[in-house]
Amino acid sequence: MFLRRHRWIVPYALLTPGLLWLAAFYVWPAVQMFVSSFWSGSVERGFTFSLENWTTYPDALDRYSTQFQRSVLYAGAATILTFMIAYPLAYAIAFRGGRLKNLLLFLVVAPFFTSFLLRTISWKIILGDDGLVFGPLKTLGFVDDSFRVLATPIAVISGITYNFLPFMVLPIYVSLEKGDQRLGEAAEDLYAGPWRPGGTIAGAIASGLLFALLGVAFGYSVPIMAAAGAVIGAVAGTLFLSEGFIRVTLPLSLPGVFAGSLLVFIPALGDYVNAALLGNPGTNMIGNVIQSRFLVNNDYPTASALSFILMVAILVAVAIYARLLGTESLTEGRRL
Amino acid sequence: MTDRPILEHAVTRRAFLAGTSMAGFAAFLAACNAPGAATPTPGGATTGPTEAPTEGPSAEPTEKPSPAAELNFANWPLYIDTDDEDETKHKTLEDFTAEYGTVVNYSEVINDNNEFFGTIRAPLEAGQDTGWDIIVLTEWMAGRIVRLGWAEKLDLGNVPNYVNNLVDVYKGPDFDPNNEYHAPWQAGMTGLGYDADVTGELTSVNAYWDEQWAGRVTFLSEMRDCVGMALARLGYSRTDVTTEQYDEAIAELQKAVDANIVRAFTGNEYAEDLVSGNVVLAMAWSGDIIQKQYERESLRFTVPDETGTLWYDNMLIPKGAQHKYTAELMIDFVYRPEIAAQIEAWVNYICPVKGAQEELAKIDEELAASELIFPSDATLAKVERFRTLTEEEESYMNDQFSALIGV
Repeated sequence: MFLRRHRWIVPYALLTPGLLWLAAFYVWPAVQMFVSSFWSGSVERGFTFSLENWTTYPDALDRYSTQFQRSVLYAGAATILTFMIAYPLAYAIAFRGGRLKNLLLFLVVAPFFTSFLLRTISWKIILGDDGLVFGPLKTLGFVDDSFRVLATPIAVISGITYNFLPFMVLPIYVSLEKGDQRLGEAAEDLYAGPWRPGGTIAGAIASGLLFALLGVAFGYSVPIMAAAGAVIGAVAGTLFLSEGFIRVTLPLSLPGVFAGSLLVFIPALGDYVNAALLGNPGTNMIGNVIQSRFLVNNDYPTASALSFILMVAILVAVAIYARLLGTESLTEGRRL
Repeated sequence: MTDRPILEHAVTRRAFLAGTSMAGFAAFLAACNAPGAATPTPGGATTGPTEAPTEGPSAEPTEKPSPAAELNFANWPLYIDTDDEDETKHKTLEDFTAEYGTVVNYSEVINDNNEFFGTIRAPLEAGQDTGWDIIVLTEWMAGRIVRLGWAEKLDLGNVPNYVNNLVDVYKGPDFDPNNEYHAPWQAGMTGLGYDADVTGELTSVNAYWDEQWAGRVTFLSEMRDCVGMALARLGYSRTDVTTEQYDEAIAELQKAVDANIVRAFTGNEYAEDLVSGNVVLAMAWSGDIIQKQYERESLRFTVPDETGTLWYDNMLIPKGAQHKYTAELMIDFVYRPEIAAQIEAWVNYICPVKGAQEELAKIDEELAASELIFPSDATLAKVERFRTLTEEEESYMNDQFSALIGV
C-alpha cells in the first residue's frame, strides 16, 4: 500500500544497498587516500596533513611518468589483443555453439577457478626458457638458445591478455547472443555485396593500432609496425569480415565491446602481478610503483597520490571513450 | 629418529619477508587493500589478543614474580617446531606450559617487518600496550624499535641461558651493544645460489657481473641483501657503509642492469627459477637452497669470499608488555640447547644458541653437521651484518634502490 502510493521511493530503496556499499568501500577509502596524499612525514615520526604538500602530485607524476606511460601501453595493447581473440571466440560460441554453448562458456570461465596468482605463475612454467614450449623448439633448432620470452614485455602483455580474456569474451557474447541474428541475414539479402570495404578498413585499423602499440612497447619503429599491422589486418578483414557483419552485427555488439574493453583496460592499468612475476626491471607498471611505495618504502603520501592520479586518469579516459564509441545510453542509463 | 625428510619443512619464511617479495600472497593481499590501509589505524593493534593483565609480574619487584597465566607471542609463519598431524600444536610451547603453567597464545601474524610495524606503531607511540609480550623482527627493524625506546629492557638476571648460550657473532650489535633489548631467534645468510652444472663452482660476487650468464641471473629485491653484494665487490663493508659508498654500489648494480645481466629483482621466487633452469645464478638465502637441493641436486649455496650478508630475526618485548617476566622466561627457555635443537630440527635456519648443535646431533646427525645450519667460524667470518641505518639514511637508500629496480 505504502509503496503503491509512494512509487518514487522504489528506485531509491533498490539503490540503497549498493550505494551504502560504495560509500563504505569506495568513497570513504578514496577520501582517506586523498587526505593521505597531502601528508608529509614518516612512519617513525608519524604523518602530518598540510595542503602545502600538493607538490607530491607533480613530483610523483614527474618521477614515474615512464611507468604511467608503460601501463597505458601495456594495458592498451592487452585490451586490443583480448578484443581480437575474444570477438571471434564469442561470435563462434554465440552463433555456432549449438549444444556445446554452455560447455564452451564454462571453459572460458574455468581458469577463474584457480587463483590469479597461480595462473600467472603457471605462465612461468609454460614459457620457461627451457620449458614446455621453448625447450623442444630449442632442441630442434628453431629458435636460438639465448631466446626467451619470460622477463620481457611480451610476457607481461601476454600475461595480462590471458588473465583478463574472459572479461572481454563474456560481455561480447551476451551482446551478440541477445542481438537478432536475422538482421544480419536480412542485410545480406538486401545489399551486403561481395566487395567489403568496411571489413578491410576495420581490420586495418584494429590490427594497425595493436602493432603500433607493440612497436612502442618493444622499441621498434612505430610507423613500420603500424603499416605492417594495417596490411595484415586489411587482408584478414577482407577475407573474413562481410559487409553485413560490419554494418549490422558489429554495431549491435558494440555495447558488449565497450563493456568488455573497460573491464579489461581498467584493471590491467593497475595490475602489478603480471609485471612483477613475468617482467624485468624495465617492465614495471604503475601498480608496481604504488605497491613498492606503499609497502616497502612506507611512502604513503606518494602511493596515495599515484593511486589518485590513476583513478582520475581512468575516469577521464572512460568519459572520452564513452563519447567516442557513442554508447552514452550505456552510461547514462534510462529514466527510471 | 626422524624418518621423514626434515628438510621438507625447510621454511621459505623469507617468502613472507618484506613487501618486496611480491609472490608473497600476504603482500599481494595487503597491496590490494592499499587505499584503505593508507591510514595506519590505532585499531590495528587491537587485533592482537589484549586480555586484561593477570597477576602482573611487576607487582612485587623485590621478590621473584610468578609466571603469568598466559603469554602473547607473535612470530612469522612456519618458524617454530610444529606437529606433523596438527599444525596448531608446537611441542616447544607445550613443554613451556608443562614447566611454568603458562598458556602460550602463539600467533603467526608477522608477514612483513614494515607491515607489522604499522600495526604496533600507534599504541607504542601512545605509550600503550600492544597486546604482545614477545614479537620477532629482523635486526634492522629491531634496531629501529630499540632506537625509538619501544622495547623493554631485559632483566639479564632472568635470562641466564641467553647470556651464556648466545653465539658470539650476535653479541654487541650497534643498536644494542649489551644485548639487553633483543634476543636472536633464527638467522640466515645471503650468498651465491647457483646451478653448479652450468656455472661450475662459484666463490666470488663478481659472478653477478659476468655477462656470460646475462639474462639468467636474478638479484634480490631486498635492499640490504642486494646492495651488500655490490659493496662486497667494491671492497666496502656492510658494517660501516657510508652514503658515498652506497651510491657507488648502486651505480655498480646499475651496470649489471644496463648490461641486461639482471633478469629480475625478486623475492624468493628466484628459488623456483633456479629449479626450472630459467636462472643459473641468484642472490640467494641459505635456507631456500637447502630445501631446493631436493628438487635439483646441482644447486649450491656459497658464501662469497668477499663476504656475504648475515641477517637475523630477534625476540623483543614491546614496551608496556603485560607479561614481561614470563616473556623473559620464554626467551631463556628457548636458549636451552635441547629446546633450541628441538626448534632447529624443524626450522632449519641458522641457530644462534651454543650447545644446540650437540643436542641436535642426538636427533639428527646429518642435520647437525650442516654448514648452513651451524656455520663454522670460518663461514661466519665471511658474513657481516648491514649496519643499522638512521631514518634519513634508510629513506634515502630505499629511494635510490627503488629507482634501480624500476619502481
